[in-house]
Amino acid sequence: MSEDVNPSPKPPSFGFAISNASNLRGGSLVALCGLALLVATFYVSSPIVPRVVSIALILIGLGVVAGMVPIRAPRDFYGGLVLVMLATLALVSSAELPGQRGFAFGPGTAPRLFAGILIALGAAVSIVGLSIEGPQIEKYKIRGPVLVLAAIFGFAAMIRHLGLVPATFLAFMISILGSTEMRWIESVVAAAAMTLFCVVLFVYLLNLPFQLWPRFY
Amino acid sequence: MSDLLANLAMGFHVAANPYNILFCLLGALVGTLVGVLPGVGSVATIAMLLPITFGLPPVGALIMLAGIYYGAQYGGSTTSVLVNIPGEATSVITCLDGHQMAKQGRAGPALSIAAIGSFFAGCVATVLVAALGAPLTSLALLFGPAEYFSLMCLGLIFAVVLAKGSLLKAIAMVVTGLLLSMIGSDLETGAGRMTFDIPELADGIGFANIAMGVFGFAEIIRNLELPPESRDILKTKISGLMPTRQDLIDSSGAIARGTLIGSLVGILPGGGAVIASFAAYTFEKKISKHPERFGRGAIQGVAAPESANNAAAQTSFIPLLTLGIPPNAVMALMVGAMTIHGIVPGPQVMSKQPELFWGMIASMWLGNLMLVIINLPLVGIWVSLLRVPYRLLYPSIIVFCCIGIYSINNSPFDVSIAAIFGIVGYWLLKHDFEPAPLLLGFVLGPLMEENLRRAMLIARGDATVFFTRPISAALLSTAIILLIIAGMPKIRRRRDEVFVE
Repeated sequence: MSEDVNPSPKPPSFGFAISNASNLRGGSLVALCGLALLVATFYVSSPIVPRVVSIALILIGLGVVAGMVPIRAPRDFYGGLVLVMLATLALVSSAELPGQRGFAFGPGTAPRLFAGILIALGAAVSIVGLSIEGPQIEKYKIRGPVLVLAAIFGFAAMIRHLGLVPATFLAFMISILGSTEMRWIESVVAAAAMTLFCVVLFVYLLNLPFQLWPRFY
Repeated sequence: MSDLLANLAMGFHVAANPYNILFCLLGALVGTLVGVLPGVGSVATIAMLLPITFGLPPVGALIMLAGIYYGAQYGGSTTSVLVNIPGEATSVITCLDGHQMAKQGRAGPALSIAAIGSFFAGCVATVLVAALGAPLTSLALLFGPAEYFSLMCLGLIFAVVLAKGSLLKAIAMVVTGLLLSMIGSDLETGAGRMTFDIPELADGIGFANIAMGVFGFAEIIRNLELPPESRDILKTKISGLMPTRQDLIDSSGAIARGTLIGSLVGILPGGGAVIASFAAYTFEKKISKHPERFGRGAIQGVAAPESANNAAAQTSFIPLLTLGIPPNAVMALMVGAMTIHGIVPGPQVMSKQPELFWGMIASMWLGNLMLVIINLPLVGIWVSLLRVPYRLLYPSIIVFCCIGIYSINNSPFDVSIAAIFGIVGYWLLKHDFEPAPLLLGFVLGPLMEENLRRAMLIARGDATVFFTRPISAALLSTAIILLIIAGMPKIRRRRDEVFVE
């Protein structure tokens, strides 16, 4: 199965040769994130576990760049490492919270407990990615995600200042650019219709307290 | 028995009052209309519509709210089927097979089966609530924090077992969800946790924001990168709105089992309806002769969870009406509504205001009947939504979701959070992680932590308490056995793959 998905599976290599571009990119990203986490640990008071983990992440990243890590399933391998990073970030950010006092859990106990479990699970997922063959990571596209996200963030930025009508219309127009099939006239008409529909529904029927138009001070 | 009949008769007498029928119909209709909008689930719907019930008499108000609840719940599953966005945690699981059915042009049967299953479950659960309300109260009283914690572990294990793909990755997702749920103020001390000094994070991340991000936005981003012709719903022809005889035969067993599981699980507080739908789906998949069909448009995969969540939604009134504990967000809103009308939820409702109690129970049945009557003709309208070309549909969904999220708290920050979780969801898809367990972990996280803390405090820091208390031990061992059973064939399959290579 993995043969079809991945036409040229890399044989696991243990040599020192600087390996292909995806390893270079992935490994250096892992190492950089590890480095950032390591720096973050110097801002908190009890950083032993996150510091050890972030140093381990840097080493793993460098190992990947050097082609010393035989990655069989990159989706699992990098996926697990990202979970480890997330958990480490949680450890760093909850490091200052008081922990267990007597029998009582402090606010920091549960986050640290679950972050610890997540580090172990993430590491396990990565190890699976080293031992069982799996498909390559699909390429990330740029246009769709960027424009969709721009529309959503744009809506968030506009709704307070410009009001519902411009925010809805513009968010619709920005997001529709994410599709390669967009047609101008149709889109403008649809955006206007959708804006009208939303205004009628949310403001007049549901009576939500939205500001419709820009407010001029 | 004669008591029960007399009580039910009184209930129906109250509910059959023309005004109350009208309130019920209105509630179910409005609930469905709002609930069907992608991104607006039942919690948001009830929250938005709560004010219009203030002017009604208490019984009428609660009947209408119950109608809105069922309507919105049903509307939420409609969006699950049509656009793969669960309005609520309870319909997360309906997405798996329901949306696949829609992609195959069978959105009509999926929606009809959901309505029929819900109605059947509603009928059974109404009788159950009436018959078992009092005796089950005493069972629920046996549950201490340790039991609740173990129960939630069991629920999460259910969620893990049912996830597609790797068991390990599903567990990792649950724990990620738990960790995300800890963001915000600590329940007991109020200390800000993992908030990075962002004031908006002090209240934590809303469920709706994560759900819309990882399901709604991520799915859209994902769809945009597929070539247009392979893009799911629009190109397939929609054949037949009504389920065929074969569909009915196939799903009848699933509906019955889903109802049973849902009724049982719904009684237990703590996300009952969510666990119920997950449990029913898992169970159905395990006993099916063709488990490989699940996740690819099996009608049982729609019938079982939809029946279960409806049954559980009704039986979850039991803790509310008998103990005064709201088992989920909707019930919490119900508590708010009851308080506004001067009713204190709790054991005294049944004895002091029997008309309200039994009238509400009867109206549940009525509400479900309304749903079938309203929705079977409307299925065609919902399905025709799919004929809108995707290039116009997706910006509409995005805009709707944005307004929906913004309307919950009037917070632009929430919209940005949802966008961030859109990226997270996109990343999860690229790395074969399932978002459903993450969401469930997130929903159950706060309850789980609270009960863990309480249990540990009561046991004076002794962690063995979870295994020394019998109910807790039974629940946990069920969870462990489940995990082992689920792990076994996977281990075997993995091994087979390795052997082939």
